[in-house]
Amino acid sequence: MTNVVEARNISKWYKEVIGLNNFSIEVPTGITGIVGPNGAGKSTFFKLLTGNIKTSVGELSVLGQKPWRNPSLLAHLGFCPDYDFLPPELDGREYLRFVGGLHGMEPGQMTTRVDEVLQIVNMAKDADRAMGGYSKGMRQRIKIAGSLLHNPQLLLLDEPLTGTDPVIRKEIIDLIKDLHKVHGHDIIVSSHVLHEIERMTHQVALIYKGRAVATGEISEIRQLMSDHPHNIVLEGKGMVELAKVLLTKPYTTSIELRPDRTGMFVKVDRPEDFFNAIPELVIETGCELDRMESLDDDLESVFRYLVRW
Amino acid sequence: MSPISIGLWTMLRFSARKLLQNRRWIIVVLLTVLVAAVMGYSATQDGADIDGMSNLMDFLLIAFLLPVLALIYGASMIRNEIDDRSIVQVITSPLDRRIAYLGYYFALVIVLTVLLTLATIVGGLSYLAFSPDGSGGIEVMLVFIAVQFIGVLIYSALFLVMGAKLKQPIYLGLFYIFIWEGFLGSAPGAIGSYTIRHQLRVIASEFINYGDIAHVIGDGTTSLITLIVLAIVLTSLGAFLFRELEVA
Repeated sequence: MTNVVEARNISKWYKEVIGLNNFSIEVPTGITGIVGPNGAGKSTFFKLLTGNIKTSVGELSVLGQKPWRNPSLLAHLGFCPDYDFLPPELDGREYLRFVGGLHGMEPGQMTTRVDEVLQIVNMAKDADRAMGGYSKGMRQRIKIAGSLLHNPQLLLLDEPLTGTDPVIRKEIIDLIKDLHKVHGHDIIVSSHVLHEIERMTHQVALIYKGRAVATGEISEIRQLMSDHPHNIVLEGKGMVELAKVLLTKPYTTSIELRPDRTGMFVKVDRPEDFFNAIPELVIETGCELDRMESLDDDLESVFRYLVRW
Repeated sequence: MSPISIGLWTMLRFSARKLLQNRRWIIVVLLTVLVAAVMGYSATQDGADIDGMSNLMDFLLIAFLLPVLALIYGASMIRNEIDDRSIVQVITSPLDRRIAYLGYYFALVIVLTVLLTLATIVGGLSYLAFSPDGSGGIEVMLVFIAVQFIGVLIYSALFLVMGAKLKQPIYLGLFYIFIWEGFLGSAPGAIGSYTIRHQLRVIASEFINYGDIAHVIGDGTTSLITLIVLAIVLTSLGAFLFRELEVA
């Protein structure tokens, strides 16, 4: 499998602020999801890929070329940023003609391609309206249309689902899948929500605090999520009996009972085993559980865990 | 057409349109009305002649409207696109950034030339409409239009490069116009000649026989070459800086 992007130990800092820190990744063909919380470095990564900024150190290759000061590479890249930049006074078709002109497309070729792309993103009907009146979903579609107008090999979509409602989100997810499956584009798409990425691809990279903390199949990431230590809150009656039994189990690291004995914090290093065993333990001890909640069953916790690892 | 020509033409067309659609046209209209009102009023006063018209055009157009409009439009042209991030489309296209910069520059030159020519015509006709003796007035207007075009070339190059490099280009621009050109430029001695305004007046003096500007001393050809070379140097510098610009 060839890689569309290879980054080796790249760092990018803006004065004292670190955007990416010793970041390494290999992105194969197909759809790859870049997942990380806000401020993790996803947008910095995209800016480096498009040559908008240059790496402070390290080696970066996109489609086999260095991106900084290399405009010819941009003929093979399509970039859809996460922010809104569309000129409100232009209509969708004018905007695409502007993009096509910047890519050096001849007028005849451009007219045909603009119509094609508008069909692909399902915007043909609204293409002649001023973009200032577009909904969020329409703006995302026309941005994606602009990024694929010149039929690039690699599409970079930065948070394309942000701010969209569930219906639009589903449509954009289907569109992104089609752009790869039907139209053959390789795609790097970012999000701060893992399950959104999961609906598009199984190939993901987790970024946290400027570092790639895990890359690979989403099932492996899921495994990491279930394997990392969890802090679990239990509340109900008979907590003392339950705590005594839990302390004998190998997956329990520590237990902190609340003074009123109606709740406790349990720290476990194998949450999967804990959650499998808990029904039997409840029956065995005769306790009554009112609440059981993991405080760490979210992506942010996984990131923190992986960074410490 | 080659892809580069198409890209340059696209930049020029869309940038010029963006400049003209900007709400700053209200300022331009107000300033033009002000120029027309001042010139029309002056023409009604005793002793108003073509010398007076030439002096007013020198002051209102060359010293004020030309640099101020170039600053308002030029310094914000690229800077605003960086700030509102609409520049992303330009810097993620395969068009060489230096060519894109030329597109900005030519668009700025065209728009400023159109606006200043209109202001000159409106102001000049306003004066001539109320002046008892208008002979030579059209000639003066044409010379000022031509000199302003040269001024547009150099001021556009200057303020565009400021906007590409500085986060707050307007302050340095204001300093240049009102402190350097307006204040130090009026000082006696050689220092006064180190201004764009002075060089433009030298060029104009070669063709105008009316007003104070006709008595400015200097070689018009040298001034013209100096300004054109400076415009080329500043534009080349701006194109280079724009290529090196990191847009975070």
